[in-house]
Amino acid sequence: MGAPAPTVVLPSLLGVTVRRAMIVGRISVLVGGGMVAIYSAGFGFGGALFLSIGAVVLPIFAVSGGLGGAMVFTNDRMKGVLEYLVAYGVSPRRILMNAILASLAQATVVLLIGVAAGTTTYLISGNTLTWRFPEVMLLYTFPMSYLTVSLMTTVGVFWTSLSSPRTGMNSPLGVLPLLGVAPTAAVLVLALTFSAYAQQIALAAELVLAVVLVNLLLRTNRLMPTDRMLSSA
Amino acid sequence: MNGEPLGGTPVRDAGTAATLVCRSLDSGYHKTPVLHDISFTVDRPSIYVVLGPNGAGKTTLFRTIAGILRPTSGQVLIDGVPIDQQTSRDRLHYLSHVDGMPDGLTVRESLDFYARVERASSADVDRVLDQLQIREFSKTFISQLSAGQRKRVSIARIFLREREIYLLDEPTANLDPKVAREIRTIILELAKDRIVLYSSHNLFEAREIGRYVITLKGGALTLFDRMENVRSAHFVVGVRTLEPTSALAGWERSGDYYLHEFSGPEEVPALIRDLEARGVKIREVREMENPLEELFT
Repeated sequence: MGAPAPTVVLPSLLGVTVRRAMIVGRISVLVGGGMVAIYSAGFGFGGALFLSIGAVVLPIFAVSGGLGGAMVFTNDRMKGVLEYLVAYGVSPRRILMNAILASLAQATVVLLIGVAAGTTTYLISGNTLTWRFPEVMLLYTFPMSYLTVSLMTTVGVFWTSLSSPRTGMNSPLGVLPLLGVAPTAAVLVLALTFSAYAQQIALAAELVLAVVLVNLLLRTNRLMPTDRMLSSA
Repeated sequence: MNGEPLGGTPVRDAGTAATLVCRSLDSGYHKTPVLHDISFTVDRPSIYVVLGPNGAGKTTLFRTIAGILRPTSGQVLIDGVPIDQQTSRDRLHYLSHVDGMPDGLTVRESLDFYARVERASSADVDRVLDQLQIREFSKTFISQLSAGQRKRVSIARIFLREREIYLLDEPTANLDPKVAREIRTIILELAKDRIVLYSSHNLFEAREIGRYVITLKGGALTLFDRMENVRSAHFVVGVRTLEPTSALAGWERSGDYYLHEFSGPEEVPALIRDLEARGVKIREVREMENPLEELFT
């Protein structure tokens, strides 16, 4: 065998994956961004409501806008792109991480639209910003959005890998938004029911999602075997 | 079976002295075994045509050699280094029978995408756009190309960077004859100093470009030999004449051809001399059956 092989650093494909997610998932971003703008602007006029229920619901729009990563993965599998990437040495883990980060980039766009629209109408309505605003955003809205989008993309990628290549409503891509919305909906219901513990409920939900996500990511090699990343053609 | 005792002096180029070894290879998908105990060694630049009926395991063999499928047992080695090492992967190009073109990108952007994966430069992209004559499509989205144009772009990718071993899975499928011929010319040029494993369902193409033939059946290697050693049990020659002749009355006919069966091609010159002596004006003499067909039965 001779001397050990020199380390070869493969290029990151993150930039191009984000760009492709924006192209392939542009409808998702447009719909998510449009909806969140209307929703947030409406809640902004409601004053304090924007910082309570409004901020809690924002992750739902992040989910609807953050489907690009999973879409790119599904497309690439069906078109045979993944086959080439694996042949060139790109690992399934890197492919997954790129898909997650691309989805997070889309989700960020949607969230920023929502925050901008809500804050604008909030201020126009004569309200003043307090420390409560960044607190809610940093402790709940953004982390919950990123966790649900990451989890949704991870499940979508694993599910796509383990099932036959297909698109449509009964495909992983068709079901993913429901999966992404479920945690936020659960937190909303629990927080409204036990309003005194709303903050604890939100943080506990984030912790649970983080644990599930990390556990799934640790099983990447088993849930994304390279022989399941081939096109069926 | 082993591909080593092929005879002749190995043709080696200083820059392309790769040796590809498949050793006792078992491979397949998930829990479905496809390849069984495949062993061969390829160590000289040439075109090795991989043939076999549908389901024989050609694509699985290519995917396993390319390191996409992990063998359940056995090894793929390039100069002794396993294919799962990046240094081995970097010595090999794989062209799938699917195009593998990313959605949402133009031709130029798709090639830029692969150039990035391959650590090739923008100048390399420009070069292959001209080499494969696809510059006119460079701003066209992949989804707007015809199947043949997409294939051409897909093939362009393997010229972004030079490698020592090329695995080409049906590279001329779905191409019109003119483009297929151009692609074959490029591949023939490539094979002067590179190892090319080439699968095809077109037996005439296989015979035209292949110097060696590898056949698979039921996931097992059934033949690895020089193309000229592959002979039919029946060697049928067709003779087409310039004008009707009674000298060939009684010969079986197929279209314009008068058919005659021999035990081997070495008898053909004598036939031609005999026919000319009998005043037959010969327009064409050709072998009517492709001996590779028998490898499929």
